[in-house]
Amino acid sequence: METKKFMGFLPVNAISIKDLFAFEKSFVNLLAIAVTVVFLVMFVVGVGNYLLHGHHVFNVTREHPWGLLIATYVFFVVSSTGLCIVGSLGDVFKFEALNYQLFSKRAIFGSIVTILAGFAVIAFEIGHPVRMMIYNVVSPGLTSAIWWMGTLYGLYLTFMIIEFIFLLRHEMRRAQVFGFIGLAVGLAAHSNLGSVFGFLNARPISNGVYYPTYFILTAFITGIFIAFIMMGFRYKLDFPPEIKKMLTGLAKIQGFLLGAFLFFAGWKMLTDVYGGMPGRADVAVHIFHSWTFWAEIVLAILIPGLVILLGQAKSHVLMFYASLIGMVGVFFMRYNLVHDTQLKPLQMMKTTRYQLPPQWVEYVPSTTEILISLGGLGLAFVMYYIGTRLFDLDESVTEEAPER
Amino acid sequence: MARYGMALDYKNCINCKACEVACKEENGVLLGADKHRIWVGANAPSGEWPHLDIVSSTFMPSQCQHCEDAPCEEVCPTHATYYDENHVVRVNSDKCILCSYCMNACPYDARYVDDRTVTVDKCTFCSDTRLARGETTTACQNTCPTKVRTFGDLDDPESEISILLKTRDHFSLKSHLGTHPKLYYLT
Amino acid sequence: MRVEVSRRRFLQNTVALSVVGGSALSLGALAAESAHAGSLPETTTTKTGTGSAEIIPTLCGMCVNKCAAFARVEEGVLTKLDPNPYFPKSRNMLCPRGNSGIQTLYDPDRLKYPLIRIGERGDGRYKRVTWEEAYDAILNGTDKFKGLAQILDEEKDNRATIGYSNGEGLSKEGFEVLVGQKIGTPNYVDEISICLETTLGGYVNTIGTYGEADMNNADYIIVAGANRAEAIITPDTMDMFKRTKKRGLTMIVLDPRFTNTAAKADRWYAVNPGTDLAFVLALTYVAFDEGLYDKEFCQKYMVGYAEYKAHILSKKYTPEWAAKLTGISAKEIYRTAREFMKARSPIYYQGRRSAFSPNDFQLRRAMAIYQGLSGNLDKKGGIIYGKKIKLPPEEVNAPMYAQAQTRFDRKGIAIPADKTGSWILFRNMILEGTAPYPVRVMLMRKHNPMSGVPDTTKTEQLLRKMDLNVMIDILPSDTAMFCDVILPEASYLERTSPVASFGGLEPAIVQRKAAVKPLYECKTPEVIYKELAEKLSEPLWKNTLKYDEDVQDDTKGMKPDALKKYYKENGFDLADAWEKTVEESNKERVVKAFGEEAWKILEEKGVYYPHMEAYHKQLDPNTYEYYPEDKKNYHVKGDKIKVVANFTNLTKKGVDAMPTWHDDMAFHVPKGKFRLITGRHAQFTQSGTTNNAMLRDLTPTNYVWINSRVAAERGIKFGDLVEVRSRIGAIRLQAYPTESIAPNQTFLLHGFGGNSRGMEMAYGNGGNDARIIEDHIEPVYGAAAMHLTDVEIRRV
Ligand code: SF4
Ligand code: SF4
Ligand code: SF4
Repeated sequence: METKKFMGFLPVNAISIKDLFAFEKSFVNLLAIAVTVVFLVMFVVGVGNYLLHGHHVFNVTREHPWGLLIATYVFFVVSSTGLCIVGSLGDVFKFEALNYQLFSKRAIFGSIVTILAGFAVIAFEIGHPVRMMIYNVVSPGLTSAIWWMGTLYGLYLTFMIIEFIFLLRHEMRRAQVFGFIGLAVGLAAHSNLGSVFGFLNARPISNGVYYPTYFILTAFITGIFIAFIMMGFRYKLDFPPEIKKMLTGLAKIQGFLLGAFLFFAGWKMLTDVYGGMPGRADVAVHIFHSWTFWAEIVLAILIPGLVILLGQAKSHVLMFYASLIGMVGVFFMRYNLVHDTQLKPLQMMKTTRYQLPPQWVEYVPSTTEILISLGGLGLAFVMYYIGTRLFDLDESVTEEAPER
Repeated sequence: MARYGMALDYKNCINCKACEVACKEENGVLLGADKHRIWVGANAPSGEWPHLDIVSSTFMPSQCQHCEDAPCEEVCPTHATYYDENHVVRVNSDKCILCSYCMNACPYDARYVDDRTVTVDKCTFCSDTRLARGETTTACQNTCPTKVRTFGDLDDPESEISILLKTRDHFSLKSHLGTHPKLYYLT
Repeated sequence: MRVEVSRRRFLQNTVALSVVGGSALSLGALAAESAHAGSLPETTTTKTGTGSAEIIPTLCGMCVNKCAAFARVEEGVLTKLDPNPYFPKSRNMLCPRGNSGIQTLYDPDRLKYPLIRIGERGDGRYKRVTWEEAYDAILNGTDKFKGLAQILDEEKDNRATIGYSNGEGLSKEGFEVLVGQKIGTPNYVDEISICLETTLGGYVNTIGTYGEADMNNADYIIVAGANRAEAIITPDTMDMFKRTKKRGLTMIVLDPRFTNTAAKADRWYAVNPGTDLAFVLALTYVAFDEGLYDKEFCQKYMVGYAEYKAHILSKKYTPEWAAKLTGISAKEIYRTAREFMKARSPIYYQGRRSAFSPNDFQLRRAMAIYQGLSGNLDKKGGIIYGKKIKLPPEEVNAPMYAQAQTRFDRKGIAIPADKTGSWILFRNMILEGTAPYPVRVMLMRKHNPMSGVPDTTKTEQLLRKMDLNVMIDILPSDTAMFCDVILPEASYLERTSPVASFGGLEPAIVQRKAAVKPLYECKTPEVIYKELAEKLSEPLWKNTLKYDEDVQDDTKGMKPDALKKYYKENGFDLADAWEKTVEESNKERVVKAFGEEAWKILEEKGVYYPHMEAYHKQLDPNTYEYYPEDKKNYHVKGDKIKVVANFTNLTKKGVDAMPTWHDDMAFHVPKGKFRLITGRHAQFTQSGTTNNAMLRDLTPTNYVWINSRVAAERGIKFGDLVEVRSRIGAIRLQAYPTESIAPNQTFLLHGFGGNSRGMEMAYGNGGNDARIIEDHIEPVYGAAAMHLTDVEIRRV
């Protein structure tokens, strides 16, 4: 397709490579660029190392087969779902304060970017990604939560892209339809991701309904965090009044969600610990004593929650910073989810004499895992940046474009 | 076809690990301490010297339980893990994408990664080696000094294993998980 | 060691070899790995195939048991060793070591071609040479070392200047024929004097045999100082543990450590090291005191029965007395004593291990007599004598050397063993200069005294003192690194060995056949013996002619032809013992004794015994019957049975005629120190198996056991590096805190701590116990008494 025709089909800003480098050379921008470039280099090095040496470069073991890359993947897809939910508020559900001119398009684009980054990371964790695409279709394992999760996320991505195109083309009704389908599929995919853990009857700590529902809740929370961050960057923390209004709305929702989450997490922990079920209670106590658990609670819930509470949802700039902190907390949340599931060894006896009795499965991510994970973040940044240049993510159009 | 299972007279086990070595040599399993299809678990005796608790240090030989309701099979997205015609839980390494879900789902830690194929591997009941040659014992059964294992067809009422299970008390590991293991521990 | 050590290169060799052998190698792992040039392969295991394979009967050579196995060979590669169900001794089983024999065969560190030392002793610098060059170096030396010809010339044909040592195995005898009988030195030392000499001696001198414990029918067994779950002995190990744990065989285990055998026991007594004798004496006391023994049997068959009874009772060897010494309560001793004598078929298990304490001979005597008291000898469920199937002997025409002196390692010991000697005395007398003549040569085969004989420093001094050291082995052991010429032997899987007969309850003869051709330039031991004999024969004969007055008298004025005849007829032709190959002589002997049919069975099945075809049955998937019940040799002695309680002849040699406790036998450890005890695991045998890749996965290194409470006090945690120091040396290894050992004792596995760089996996791995075990000997045979060393342990 010729560029012109394509641009007619899809409103794209005509930019050259040069334009990509034309940005205001402020300190924050330069810092952001530097971080992104470093992350990208990390990605290349990490992937290179993996391609050279294979799976050995990951610290995953027989006892702890899922590592940081899975956590990072979860982090990205939760972000994506979260953005999709937040975007849908305006776009699908037409909440005035969140209408798409203000945020929806940006959110939908963000959800595409993050899920692509997630796929990029998981491609290196899955031993045979190409084989996966073939056999997922040729011999689908319909009882497998991973199959549903993978397939639904594939569909979800498709719908998100279609929705985004319609948004760009201002075909709002179609966008709404696909947005709605995308959201539904996304939620299904996302709760399926939770069920990947929830179905594990070998792992009482994760088994049950908690993760599938918690995933939706935390996705919403994540989406709002990212919304603050995106808007913060977009407006350089100098928010126009309508944005302020929107952010206040979001902050209120966030406050409610964080409260709900604290409630859920609290009861989960309490029932785990005092439920006394072997393989769950002991693990929960162990988790309770781990610093990553507290990182999750403090960074993702308490700090943002307090900021919202004390600022009565109106301290937008502080909320921006709290959201950054919140995202770090969210990352720990994902890491904890993956790691805690595998904490308790399935084989509690010694298999050689000269070893300590198995207690807790230890896992420390390898350098390559860290490189690829941060690299995934770099990918997301870069894609997002290019997107902001390529597409008008917040042009103000009030009327629908004429149907063609 | 058959429905293979295994009875373990586990009190015979002396934790010599001949079974582990025989399995590795028979099936070309990778060297490496945690690359194993079969293992023996043991606890250090509880108590203080010299008042040690002898029964606390029982040896538990184990391998894939060949569950009838195998969580590993259920969670496999590509049917790489499947029940073969003899109800043996197998992995088709051509289909395995190494998502490692089965490793997490198996309650018995029976699975590991074969670094050559970069896919998941586990006990096959020697299906593609010994059984394929028409032999009637597995490598681990055959080599064991104290003959812990009896392998055979659970559907054949005359088979040694059927008789053992009819006449001797036995239990299964983590039976509360509903996996219905086909490894039976004789008491 | 400048020999190839890379696994990859090894595999390339294998590929090359099999191509030379005419069969392309297409087997999974090997081929796949060789394709990954540049990276070390992770595996040498090979999945067995489903196509055609040669199935060759072999005998395991990984330890002393000689279990029968079938080797599966596919396209020239040994892919699997399976147990052979025909051999009654090994009962269709292979232990972990047996299964991992493949890894020893394909060990990349194998000695691959003859080597001659070009550096200094111990520095590992060798030159690859041809066999002819190697033999020549043994005879004539190089600029680095002297050869046999010169040394024997200087020693005026005193053949005793040659010492030799040999490891256990089916080709052992051939080496003894070569060096002992043909070359003619008496100075032989082997593993017996660092192993079970006192056990064998004590039993044979008391009940006339070491015997076999009928584990299948006994109902009560005391296992003291024998760890059958970890030091596997066939068929004892297989039989006993099928019936322990309240399934017909009550088992009492005495061991300072809580072993895997103790884990199977009904009761475990943490006996103080070296005090088992007090325990047996107390059991005996109870038997006499309470009249709980087979009086009829004793009156009939026990020599010195009355004296022994009086001795035991008058010495007041009561359980209360023994409790203080052994650490086992009097109540438990009473209980065991009564249960034992009331049992239908009780066995005080003979055990089979090194002499641990100086009283070991007397301990064995006391145990054998105690067994006699129960009357449970030579009968079902007891210690049985069994029978052996006789094979025609192989005659050796051994020459006589007038100049050869006699052996000297007998200073201070009561009953010197002429054949096997005392390693420690032999070594120490040479070092101290108390040997009556210079010993200047060590010819060694499959023996690693640097690891096996207590006090490695002295062993090293001995080897450094020699003018010539030769080693025949499959791996570059620590000892080989002190040798001037190293000859690579074919491993047990590459050679056919002389047929062997195993007696007992269910006797059989067995034959090991070569599963694969010798790899690299290795040769089978018998071929090496023959070629070396051919090389040495005439030059050494000339030396004899030069110095040996008897021979000079005999041959005075003889013409060359007559001289040649004399040389041949009197056995000076050293190579004449190997005129037939092993294969030929096996066939000849078996056919001669049992006929062609027997030979066919032996060739195919690896095992033969009369009526095997009729007797041998499979009872169920796991059980075989070898002999019908009424054909087993439960009862063979009849009235000829004899239990010597009072061995009066011993008094003349300064040994107690009846087992007696002496106060200096008591166990005592200075405060803060630990008594070092040693032993084995099921997953390896000696230093030779620590380079086995498969076994190394199972037991990666040796740890030093330390009671966990003591360890906690000293701040020692699992895996901490500690130094274990005795009077004679120190080693470093990792700590293993455990409650399975007493606070004043420590244990470490024997065989680790290799120091030869040529053994990639064994090198520097763990600690070598021989470096710290003091070289005490017991007074009867001069055997090593291993458990007399106290050590200090500190974190480093
Ligand atoms: S071979 Fe038999 S005795 Fe040895 S560890 Fe295995 S099951 Fe136990
Ligand atoms: S034991 Fe594990 S690997 Fe084996 S069938 Fe059951 S779930 Fe699957
Ligand atoms: S049945 Fe075969 S594959 Fe399974 S553990 Fe035993 S030897 Fe290994």
